[in-house]
Amino acid sequence: MAKKKQRTIVGSPLTPTLLDELGALSESPPSSEDFKPDGNWVNTYRIWTCHGYRESGNDNVGFLRIRRLIDSHRSLTLKVHQEVLQTDALVNIVEATIDCRDNQLASPIQWKVSSRFRGADGKYISELSSNDNGVAAERLDRSTGDWCLFEAVQRLKISKETVLSFDMLEGLSLLKKGQRLSYSGLTKTKICNEEIPLHCFVQLGNGILPTEYWLDEHHRLLMVTSMNKAYILDDKAEKVIK
Amino acid sequence: MNKNTTTEQFACLVNRRDFIKLSGGAVALLANGTLTSDVFAARQSRNPKPKNILLIITDQQHIDTIAAGGCRHVRTPALDRLKTSGVSFTQSYSANPVCSPARSCVFTGRTSSETAVYVNGRPIRSDIPNLGQWFSQQTDYETFYAGKWHLPRTYTSNIPGFNVINTGIGGFGYLCDTVMSRACEGFLRNRSKSKPFLLAASFMQPHDICEWLRLNMDNPQEIRYPQLAGKFPELPDNFEFDENEPGVIRKRRLGNEPFKGKWNKEQWRYYLWSYYRNIEYVDAEIGRVLKALEDCGYIKDTLIVLTSDHGEGLAHHQMVRKNTLYDEAARVPLLFSWPGHIPENRTDTTHLASGLDIMPTLCDYAGIRPPKNMRGRSLRSILEGRFAPTDNFIVTEVSSNTGRMVRTPSFKYITYKDDSVEQFFDMRTDPGETKNLAASSRYASALAEHRKMLRDWESRLDVPSSIPNANVWRTVGG
Repeated sequence: MAKKKQRTIVGSPLTPTLLDELGALSESPPSSEDFKPDGNWVNTYRIWTCHGYRESGNDNVGFLRIRRLIDSHRSLTLKVHQEVLQTDALVNIVEATIDCRDNQLASPIQWKVSSRFRGADGKYISELSSNDNGVAAERLDRSTGDWCLFEAVQRLKISKETVLSFDMLEGLSLLKKGQRLSYSGLTKTKICNEEIPLHCFVQLGNGILPTEYWLDEHHRLLMVTSMNKAYILDDKAEKVIK
Repeated sequence: MNKNTTTEQFACLVNRRDFIKLSGGAVALLANGTLTSDVFAARQSRNPKPKNILLIITDQQHIDTIAAGGCRHVRTPALDRLKTSGVSFTQSYSANPVCSPARSCVFTGRTSSETAVYVNGRPIRSDIPNLGQWFSQQTDYETFYAGKWHLPRTYTSNIPGFNVINTGIGGFGYLCDTVMSRACEGFLRNRSKSKPFLLAASFMQPHDICEWLRLNMDNPQEIRYPQLAGKFPELPDNFEFDENEPGVIRKRRLGNEPFKGKWNKEQWRYYLWSYYRNIEYVDAEIGRVLKALEDCGYIKDTLIVLTSDHGEGLAHHQMVRKNTLYDEAARVPLLFSWPGHIPENRTDTTHLASGLDIMPTLCDYAGIRPPKNMRGRSLRSILEGRFAPTDNFIVTEVSSNTGRMVRTPSFKYITYKDDSVEQFFDMRTDPGETKNLAASSRYASALAEHRKMLRDWESRLDVPSSIPNANVWRTVGG
């Protein structure tokens, strides 16, 4: 009889240090010296998942790319592209264009979002595609989207006094009310043998598990961790799919 | 309870799947639960058929997780909508509270010992048709599948009898369910309305609580998020456990994360809070599918069924996860909705239901005979309030074919192979299953009758000899 492989339970919630220990961070975070949270930028995140064991079951399953665009009128647009790889090489591609208010939450004003599926043969499966256009109706200043938060959190004041309450439109489609985002502090974190100071914001609310946003000293969002999932800033993240 | 009463009750119970009293006269059922030809034809002529069927399966959903059902710890607008638009059963049990075995029962109407899926990751016996195969052969419904399968592969693009529209991601409910519900949405929005469909949408959540347990096993001694202080649910009344339980249960408890991590009560309560957030995750994804169903004009023509493969320990008896026969792991939500045909907002607290009942119920609604040897029964007449069976019992298997439960309206009997400790609970006075009456002389005759009930049930099964303990249950307590 084949011997069952020994597996060690991770035991504690995902943090940047733990991600490093588990091999989720292949190299040091990209340089952020020129990063301006309120400028034009592109952040690409590898989506990494954890089964709760140290030795096995942890994997990259896709990437999320967010491009921030501003025009001369300070109008803010986010372009989102996410690909998630599934079993048997099926890929889900979600793309969105979101016009946002230039407020603390990057509240969506109007948006277009599409979902497509690509099969193992590389062809799109048109029967599964969907498109949606949306316009924010009410409580404009008190709402945001999960992708918008990736942008907004980088502009927030690093202060224990920073506490935001809002409703969240997840994936621009699922409303999750009663969210709260607050600054929880600075930790010196060892990543790839470097000690890096990271600021952490925590989001708690209905319909989600606690989500932690980890920013470097230039306010660039390096990682987002939530239970068994992490978004890790990685310029080469798109290779996960390709 | 005196012996005469119990004997009378038992006489009804053993007949449950052979005869059902109908209003206006008794109609015979065949021994396998199917109707005779003339009765079948007469019934179909007056029983309308839903144009479409949507079978929603969640993974590891405790029965008390729906706000509209009284759960104070969650916001579940989609589940609320399903519950209030139809009939929900409060005494609904998984046929085997482990993922693959339970699913094999739902999709075949046969026990897990018969399907040969007595543990996770085994295929259904090839001579037993699954729901997709049967509907493909017998109906004009086109059959589609999205999400977790686990018979044997957790996710696969190849499921006999079904067109797989979405495979999912191994083990990660949050991402998996989002992608899956988007695929279902696309499917519904693009589909031509001319052809009826059967769509099985099999969600992974709230199963992510398994990963949560592994990522929160070590007791941090203090709350990670002080903002949550005071917001955690209280521990259940039956949090303490009986030291004299069957050995397999004691062993399982000690192997679980709360005992390995030496949890304090606050950590237990944080686990409860986290589980409910996973429920809200899946509720939102179910909501996406229901919205698409409504936007596309399907909702009035679609029979919607929601169930789960098994429940969740949820700190009752200090258990987590599944694979026990306590109600928290064994009972599952079971909701049926079809506007205009199934009464709205009705809670059935009387009838026992099983995952084994889903296949014959769907066949009944589709106007076809179920495959032979169904171990469950169609719930249609109960759902539509046309008549009520006068008797009722269900059997659930567990633990790699080493455990059995017999549930009657009043009692629950649990036994494990090679374990002298049996459990016998009076579910009317002790729904938390805290007082084991198996050793009480007062209940000796009732216990003996439940043992016999199990033997009789087992004697009718077609269990392959290759299954571990294939024949052991035919002699239990004998």
